[in-house]
Amino acid sequence: MSVSDTNLASAPRRANRSSESVARKVARNVGVPVLSIVLLLVVWQAIVVGFHVAPYIAPRPYQAVLAVTQNWSTLWPLVLGTIRETVYGFVAGAALGISLGVIMAKVPVLQRLVYPVLVLSQAVPIIALAAPLVLILGFSVTPKVVIVAWIVFFPVTVNVLDGLSHVDQDLVNLARVYGAPRWRTFVQIEVPATATPLFSGLKIGATYAVTGAIIGELAASDGSSLALYQEHANTNLNTAAVYGTTMLMTVIGISWFLLVVGAEVFATPWQRRTVARRSWRRVADQSEGDSAR
Amino acid sequence: MSASAILELRDVGKVFGDTVALEPTTLSIEEGSFVAIVGPSGCGKSTLFNVIAGLLEPDGGEVRLHDRPVTGATGHVGYMLQKDLLVPWRTVEDNITMAKRLTGRVSSAHRAEARRVARQYGLGDFLRHYPSALSGGMRQRVAFMRTLVTHQPLLLLDEPFGALDAQTRLEMQQWLLQVWKDTERTVLFITHDVDESIFLSDRVLVMSPRPGRVVADFVNPLARPRTVDTLTEPDFVVLKARIMHLLHGGTP
Ligand SMILES: Nc1ncnc2c1ncn2[C@@H]1O[C@H](COP(=O)(O)OP(=O)(O)O)[C@@H](O)[C@H]1O
Ligand SMILES: [Mg+2]
Repeated sequence: MSVSDTNLASAPRRANRSSESVARKVARNVGVPVLSIVLLLVVWQAIVVGFHVAPYIAPRPYQAVLAVTQNWSTLWPLVLGTIRETVYGFVAGAALGISLGVIMAKVPVLQRLVYPVLVLSQAVPIIALAAPLVLILGFSVTPKVVIVAWIVFFPVTVNVLDGLSHVDQDLVNLARVYGAPRWRTFVQIEVPATATPLFSGLKIGATYAVTGAIIGELAASDGSSLALYQEHANTNLNTAAVYGTTMLMTVIGISWFLLVVGAEVFATPWQRRTVARRSWRRVADQSEGDSAR
Repeated sequence: MSASAILELRDVGKVFGDTVALEPTTLSIEEGSFVAIVGPSGCGKSTLFNVIAGLLEPDGGEVRLHDRPVTGATGHVGYMLQKDLLVPWRTVEDNITMAKRLTGRVSSAHRAEARRVARQYGLGDFLRHYPSALSGGMRQRVAFMRTLVTHQPLLLLDEPFGALDAQTRLEMQQWLLQVWKDTERTVLFITHDVDESIFLSDRVLVMSPRPGRVVADFVNPLARPRTVDTLTEPDFVVLKARIMHLLHGGTP
């Protein structure tokens, strides 16, 4: 690439990260986290072995893993159940959060009216919420979904509201000068300008979503659920299974968080790239434009 | 009105609370001319532009473009600020075609035009770059190309080079004069830099605050094309002295 066709350009900022080799990138983004998890397991093993901790107090890591793999056929449906509650609740909470954020940003009266209620909703202890929810909704998947959504929507609403109220008004005015209708300005300017705060809210929501699902299972399950399985193992002094189940829950939580991070990376390429990805439309245009020259 | 006027203001004024941002102002701008507006900050320059662009409804008076009333209406001028206002999530090419996307559909002809303009003015290698990869001068040129491809005959430029360093600014001024010559637009150019106002313009309007108003209207006698030598010509120095005198509280 050259800037020789102009004497105006001072050197543009280059992507130092794009010059980094793919292998190094993978090593940094995947290798380091994996290493830290391995390190954690090694420390765990060392403590349990070194201090002669009894297995019913704390198992060794591999025992916890075994407790999961050996009972996989029992655990698998429970894991699926927790995933379903997490995902449904997250999607519902995100949708509610985005809608509330947009409405509150666009109607200031509603913002003053609704905001205190939203803050109040988060002050209610979630456990205290479970009992009335079971009374209303029964022991179905619904009360767990409601609890997850209850936790997830709040950071999303707050961030969307904040993002929309900080969109550069000069940019909005520029769109007006062009003669743009308000809905186009909203879709093309205000929405993308809110992408970063939106994903901050979603990431906070994603970290709490599994916790919400487990609380829901504890408080509103009639029989089979991951949370009750763990409680049962605890009663039976099956500590390895308790630890194993905790690891499972953590894995579900981390996976969901990583999925949201992945969605953000995909949806906001300009945050990391200096040059746009190639798209079919551009490729088609480029060749047509070049041949016309 | 004179036959060649593109823009006419008739007693256009604007008051905010008890600040007279712009006294009722009457003004006529000739088609194809380059008019600089110079004045200290707070003298109502941006208010004047916002009224012309239709962002602000004036308290009274009328704005006429090509002899048609456009008071309070948008969509009829090109408009550019000191902030480049490029959207970070779109490439250079997509930023240039932004106005079309906001008001309708971007056709492949629009994209071809954006690429042609970018190549012509030295940004052909950066079409698929995001704005974060560009220097300040390059960003400002993209913002100007975005204004150009709206094909509005009247361009309002509000301190477009105000944030650039002296060297880049001088290059941008020469570049702007070249583009102005190529494209035959009418330009209204706000600046608080007296040298810049004289270097670029056919005519200099001097504004003064409290109340915001036009206090003088100078015809610029300097020949074109303008070069670095223009800055030291006697006519330049004389005009500069007269403007400076006004800006520092003197009477016309
Ligand atoms: N939206 C507004 N509300 C209240 N006062 C304003 C507004 N816009 C501008 N003003 C006031 O009007 C005066 C002129 O402002 P402006 O046109 O921005 O000046 P300039 O562009 O010459 O610096 C200033 O005193 C400014 O504080
Ligand atoms: Mg201003």
